[in-house]
Amino acid sequence: MNAVTSLPVMMPASAEIFLAIAGMVLLMIGVFRGESSLRFLSYATIATFAVAAILVVTQGGGGEAFYGLFVSEGFAQFAKILILIGSAFAVLLSRDYLVREQAGRFEFPILILFATLGMLMMVSANDLMSLYMSLELQSLSLYVMASIRRDTLKATEAGLKYFVLGALSSGMLLYGCSMIYGFAGTTSFTGLAAVFAAQTGVVPLGLVIGIVFLIAGLAFKVSAVPFHMWTPDVYEGAPTPVTALFAVAPKIAALALFVRAMMDPFADLIGSWQQVLVFVSIASMGLGALGALVQTNIKRLMAYSSIGHMGYLLVGIAAGNQAGVTGVMLYLATYIFMNVGTFAMILAMRRDGRLVEEIGDLAGLSKTHPMMALALMIFMFSMAGIPPLAGFFGKWYVFMAAVDAGLFGLAVIGILTSVIGAFYYLRIIKIMYFDEATQPLDDAVSQDLRVILYGSAVVTVLFVLFISPVYDAAKVAAISLVGA
Amino acid sequence: MTTTKPDRYDVWVMATVAISLAGFVVGLTWIPGIAASDFPTVDWPWVEGLGIDLAFRVDGLSLLFVLLITGVGVPVLGYAAAYASDGAKRRRLCLLLFAFLLAMLGLVTADDLITLFVFWEATTVISYLLIGFDHEREAARRSALQGLLVTAAGGLALLAGLVLLGAEAGTFRLSELPAALADTDPSDLTLSLVLILCGCFTKSAQLPFHFWLPNAMAAPTPVSAYLHSATMVKAGIYLMARVHPVYSDHELWFPVLTVVGAATAVWASIQALRQTDLKLMLAHTTVMALGTLTMFLGSSSPVAVAAAATFIVVHALYKSTLFLVIGVIDRRTGTRDRRLVSGLSSVLPMTAIAAFAGAFSMAGFPPFLGFIGKELKYEGALAIAEEPGLVIVAAVAANAMMVAIALAVSVRSFLGQPSDVDAGTPPPRLMVAVPLFLGLCGLIFGLAPSLIGETIVQPAATAVLGMPAEIKLALWHGVNLPLLLSIVTVVLGIGLYFWLDRITLGLDRIGARLPVSGDRIYDAVLHTTLDGAKRLTSVVQGGRLPVYIGLSFAAVGLALLVGAVGDEAETWSAIRLEPLEPWEIASLALLAVGAALAIAGRRRLTALCGLAAVGVGTTLVFLMHGAVDVAVTQFMVEALIVVFVAAVIPKIPPFESIRRSVRERVARGLLAAFVGLGATLALLRLAPPVDRTITSFYEQMSVPEAFGRNVVNVILVDFRALDTLGEVAVVVIAAFGAFALLRGRRFSRGAE
Repeated sequence: MNAVTSLPVMMPASAEIFLAIAGMVLLMIGVFRGESSLRFLSYATIATFAVAAILVVTQGGGGEAFYGLFVSEGFAQFAKILILIGSAFAVLLSRDYLVREQAGRFEFPILILFATLGMLMMVSANDLMSLYMSLELQSLSLYVMASIRRDTLKATEAGLKYFVLGALSSGMLLYGCSMIYGFAGTTSFTGLAAVFAAQTGVVPLGLVIGIVFLIAGLAFKVSAVPFHMWTPDVYEGAPTPVTALFAVAPKIAALALFVRAMMDPFADLIGSWQQVLVFVSIASMGLGALGALVQTNIKRLMAYSSIGHMGYLLVGIAAGNQAGVTGVMLYLATYIFMNVGTFAMILAMRRDGRLVEEIGDLAGLSKTHPMMALALMIFMFSMAGIPPLAGFFGKWYVFMAAVDAGLFGLAVIGILTSVIGAFYYLRIIKIMYFDEATQPLDDAVSQDLRVILYGSAVVTVLFVLFISPVYDAAKVAAISLVGA
Repeated sequence: MTTTKPDRYDVWVMATVAISLAGFVVGLTWIPGIAASDFPTVDWPWVEGLGIDLAFRVDGLSLLFVLLITGVGVPVLGYAAAYASDGAKRRRLCLLLFAFLLAMLGLVTADDLITLFVFWEATTVISYLLIGFDHEREAARRSALQGLLVTAAGGLALLAGLVLLGAEAGTFRLSELPAALADTDPSDLTLSLVLILCGCFTKSAQLPFHFWLPNAMAAPTPVSAYLHSATMVKAGIYLMARVHPVYSDHELWFPVLTVVGAATAVWASIQALRQTDLKLMLAHTTVMALGTLTMFLGSSSPVAVAAAATFIVVHALYKSTLFLVIGVIDRRTGTRDRRLVSGLSSVLPMTAIAAFAGAFSMAGFPPFLGFIGKELKYEGALAIAEEPGLVIVAAVAANAMMVAIALAVSVRSFLGQPSDVDAGTPPPRLMVAVPLFLGLCGLIFGLAPSLIGETIVQPAATAVLGMPAEIKLALWHGVNLPLLLSIVTVVLGIGLYFWLDRITLGLDRIGARLPVSGDRIYDAVLHTTLDGAKRLTSVVQGGRLPVYIGLSFAAVGLALLVGAVGDEAETWSAIRLEPLEPWEIASLALLAVGAALAIAGRRRLTALCGLAAVGVGTTLVFLMHGAVDVAVTQFMVEALIVVFVAAVIPKIPPFESIRRSVRERVARGLLAAFVGLGATLALLRLAPPVDRTITSFYEQMSVPEAFGRNVVNVILVDFRALDTLGEVAVVVIAAFGAFALLRGRRFSRGAE
């Protein structure tokens, strides 16, 4: 095949190619200009994301690239837009932090950029090999980011834990991939789907074990129980803007990858993986809810909260139908804003110029900072799934999908854990509104944080008005992956 | 806050009152239309794909509640404006009450199951803020949280029930449900019924979820009067009435509602007699009223349903009156203890009239509306064909206790020796006028029952029954069985009243010995959950990496074991192990020795050598199976690992200093054995059919394609030359890393 004919086949990956080139250019600028270029690099990274988003939107129906290793369709495009939004927010959130904590390292936005590149490719991976490569590109960038503040013990420990456990999970994932390849004879998702569609009778045990190991590796990336252990420690230990990144964009990418892996190559083997996902989902919902109850550090609480949310999202995958995928995509769209807003709030929690992260520090916030308290209350109610806020609809739809799929037990357990979940979200509201402040938080909150905080709150409240178009987009995305 | 200090005529407060009043008037104008089955409806598409519409529809049942919510809401808002001590609080209280009013209106008019749920949750959340209004008090915060948890838990059960119901019916429209479910087998609806009833019972404080309501008395008086008379607690009753046409034929409906309702009514009445705090006493009588309503809704008899519909109005009027009266007493005397309050009619004459009007209606004395309600209840009880005995006994017992409590609130507090009023302040005039107005309403409707009979109660009963019901409310029905029962009730009630103090003491003594109460169970559940969560997080999430890795491996081992043993055990017999060749035994022996050395090694270097031996053993296994390139890579990686580890050994604490306890060693050993067992069994079960396609391809093609007789060499340098290049590159990059690491060490040493 000559160069001229192979060019158009790269077009579905135009956004990724652009990001890769831009990342290398920006890295060079950073290397030669040093720390002083941080401000420029941050904005340049955001601009890069914006261009990438435009490239994603304008590529139309998409298609396969790199001989089928890479695929882009409505589903991937929807997820990519969400990821780019999440990453752009993470860069914005970090700017103020890096300046104020004197932790300005020019690598920071560039690492986010490369991690984002990995995430976009994860979403589009159409082969076990491209899946692994993109996953590692993302993970390696994130390992570095977790411990970017090498001078603090907590961050180093967090980074090390993340790396060791992450390497373990990558090993499991690879083991699973090799098992699958050994029994199916191909690594391509399209090929695998064809093999399984033609297969009749009993599924070979090796294949089941391969899928279970693959799920284990993916479960680690979405921090689902029992591979969630890194989450609370890393959330707490990593610098807050990094945690804000961890909580949103990589979760979206890993979940989209999870959805694709389950619904595309292994769709016909649903009998083999549905039970595993049901177990993982129940365990995540339960542990997320119970663990969050006793936390005093708000970042740790968010870690458990995200474990719980992953449990709810896995309900949608376990349902294994188009409604479930639609629910997951819709859920993720609401998830971004609740989380980004909450982390903007955490970054705004300063006392005497120093960041504080205890939940008790929020006491009396309703009196000292009524608007911020209101915004955080909106996020908490939304995460608890109280209608008519955004968070309710995601939950509602994944549970409906589970009911459609006949997983009544799963839906009921999900609702029960929501009750416990509601308790710890409401505890924060109680502390803000009913407890007396010992010492108020600082007034000075940067413009960036304010805009993100209030903007996210408005989106969370008004989401109910725009739910129809978002739902339609999510449905189109789901149909492009699994059919109507 | 704005600079202008809001006063009683605060524009926000006035606006809430005006809008509520307008709502009431609009409700009144709907009466003729609804009587003629012309129901006002609103229908906005909301989420088309989800099948959720913002649909509202006002039928007779909704209208009854709309009029109650606005009709009681307006006076209560006025009272609240007078009640609140300062402007900021007044505005907050009135706005919250108004928000609650709106949420309730949405709840009772919603025609879509999900819209209904949305408003249901809104009432839960707003009531949380209202109960905790005086958040400086610990009791208020605890009660607010308790009410929220109990009702929110029920609310989520309700959501599950509504989803199941909608899925079963294929529509989420309340008005379409009865027709859509007409042919459904009732047993398919059992789960949704149970879940919906959980929601209703928690919201309407039925046994065993009743405990939160009396605790919610920590709220300011107008909130108690509003939430616990006309609105929040009636939401559950409303929903039960609403789904009555769907479920009334279900075999569980009648027994569950009747028994739970009767038990709640009697138990709550007994609890009410135990109280000395007037407000708490009334709170328990609210639970009693809710129990009675539940009991009557269990039946499909038109008279019983009409009795329920009437009693909703009766109760709302007298209970709001009495709560507000107690607010006045509290303000004037500084106490709500019924043993300390007496003879207030001289200082609070107008309030005394309101109190008597409310109390006589509650006791069911003619000519108050309560009398009509009570007569209708007895008539309804007699009409419940299945179980009239239980219902009548429960109704008479509960009503007799109501008489005693009504007398305690009115006669005991307002007649007799005037008590000390120095602790309090005179209440504002508006606070006195509002209960008087509500109390007199009870008298007016009692004298002219047709005002509400055909206009409000009859359409409501029609909506509940799903067929036209004819209800005539009248004071005098002639001498009949209900009248006789009324006389029995009054005699019993007066007897109880004279023995009240002794009964209270006695009940208190018994109550203290009761092993369980809802409140204690709530505490136990809450504490167990928190303790369990603490223990769980300290075990699973202690922050120690070895534990995390151990748990990950345990999960993997379990998955392998379940996979291997799980299904089709008969294939075990099909496993055939091929005899091992000598060199295979040799490499396995190397592996085993290496592993043993790694475990038992007393020094770090010994353990490292053991590990290296394991690596070499693995490489040999690859080699023997013809995967030369893999073997080469593996060997290089193993070598690099040894280099890396050797490089860092001097930097970390000596091996000998890390002593692990026996317990820890045993735990690790067991874990290793467990994972090993799982992996072995799984691999045995795999028994892979060796696919020789690739091997034979290379064997056949190496000479014609690559002109080489050594197949291994050909694969490495020809067929897979690019792979080899990549592998070499990876190893070189890794070596660079190792070099950097070693160099870095030298630098850091130099810096010291």
